[in-house]
Amino acid sequence: MPTSSMQKGKRRSECGLLLFMAACGILLLAYLASAQIYLPKPAPEPSEYGKVILDRYSATGPGAVVFDHWLHRSKFTCRVCHVDVGFAMEAKATGINASTNREGFHCGACHDGKRVFEGKTLFPACSDAAHDKQCDRCHSLGKKGVRKYEYKEFTAKFPKGIYGVNWEVAEKSGVIKPVDFIDGLSVKKAPMKNREDFAVQANYSWVHPIEFSHEKHSIWNGCELCHPEIFPTARKGTVSYSMFSNIEGRYCGACHGKVAFPLNNCQGCHAKAPAWVP
Amino acid sequence: MVKAKFFKTKFFQAKFFTAQLVTTTFSATMVAVLLFLGLAGLCAVPAIGGPSASAAQADATQESWRTEFDNVCAKTEDAMTFSQEELMDLIRRCDSLQPRIEKLDESRKKVYLERLRKCRGLYAYVLDAKRKEKK
Repeated sequence: MPTSSMQKGKRRSECGLLLFMAACGILLLAYLASAQIYLPKPAPEPSEYGKVILDRYSATGPGAVVFDHWLHRSKFTCRVCHVDVGFAMEAKATGINASTNREGFHCGACHDGKRVFEGKTLFPACSDAAHDKQCDRCHSLGKKGVRKYEYKEFTAKFPKGIYGVNWEVAEKSGVIKPVDFIDGLSVKKAPMKNREDFAVQANYSWVHPIEFSHEKHSIWNGCELCHPEIFPTARKGTVSYSMFSNIEGRYCGACHGKVAFPLNNCQGCHAKAPAWVP
Repeated sequence: MVKAKFFKTKFFQAKFFTAQLVTTTFSATMVAVLLFLGLAGLCAVPAIGGPSASAAQADATQESWRTEFDNVCAKTEDAMTFSQEELMDLIRRCDSLQPRIEKLDESRKKVYLERLRKCRGLYAYVLDAKRKEKK
């Protein structure tokens, strides 16, 4: 027959076990929550992907500007805008405002009311003579029916991939011909000589290697867009690139996950990996 | 008789004054017209793009930094093919260009300093890679 002290001991050990299990559960939940942070966020609709909202002066001006990357990337290389025009890769780092546009910089570098592109004169950005309807073409946040181009109609004939437009195929097939030189703005350069593609071995055996197209990246970006700011060293093995840093917006994540195809599209880099992880 | 002489004198005096008045008015009008034409000409020269001395100077200054910028930053695509000495020379040229760009107006400065930073950064990056490669 069990004594009362034995029963008390049993209860204590049961309570201890329960507490231990609860602690384990909490730790497991905490681990899962932290792991969730490091998973790529689900990508938005392709029409919303790469959307930039410029709202620094929205309280005093004609409202926030909505810039869709899909429209301009079908016409220009990344390099033209981010190197020659000088748009920074980080939000609010360019210092763009109406007066820089009027003086022929930033948006005004092309949108000056004089430059002709694809047979059309580009409208002047932030011109004093502009009427409300013209301002609304860019200052369009929260305004319906003011944009000239809509994603669905604009990209209707573009080849599609696993996620929206497949820009690489679009360029290869000649559907788009991104311009890499703008008169009066770009510097004339000789064609690049070093364009070798290479494979990047993953840190773990269970991860498929990356087939990195240096050629594709250098044609669209030039050299100075990626080096040294995004990829600070050329020596192999000195920097440990990981998906964690990509998800945080560093290295490949400076573009992929923001404008270039999302990080969920594993196959985009790891060619033998599953196609899409939502 | 005396009365007639008096009126004749008065008549000649009036005629003289009228002639003088007409001459003066004509001269004043001419001066005003010439002044107007002169002023209009002065205003029209810069308006139609005629170079004033200071504008021409500013243009020349602008032209020289821009030419140097274009020359220096035109070589980024070939950076990997340059020797260490050539890369160091390009970096030095970028550094000497910086104070010239800093003197430009705010918008120009903002854009071109950023472009110069990218261009210099690439040369420094390639130089660093080449130095490490040699070791």
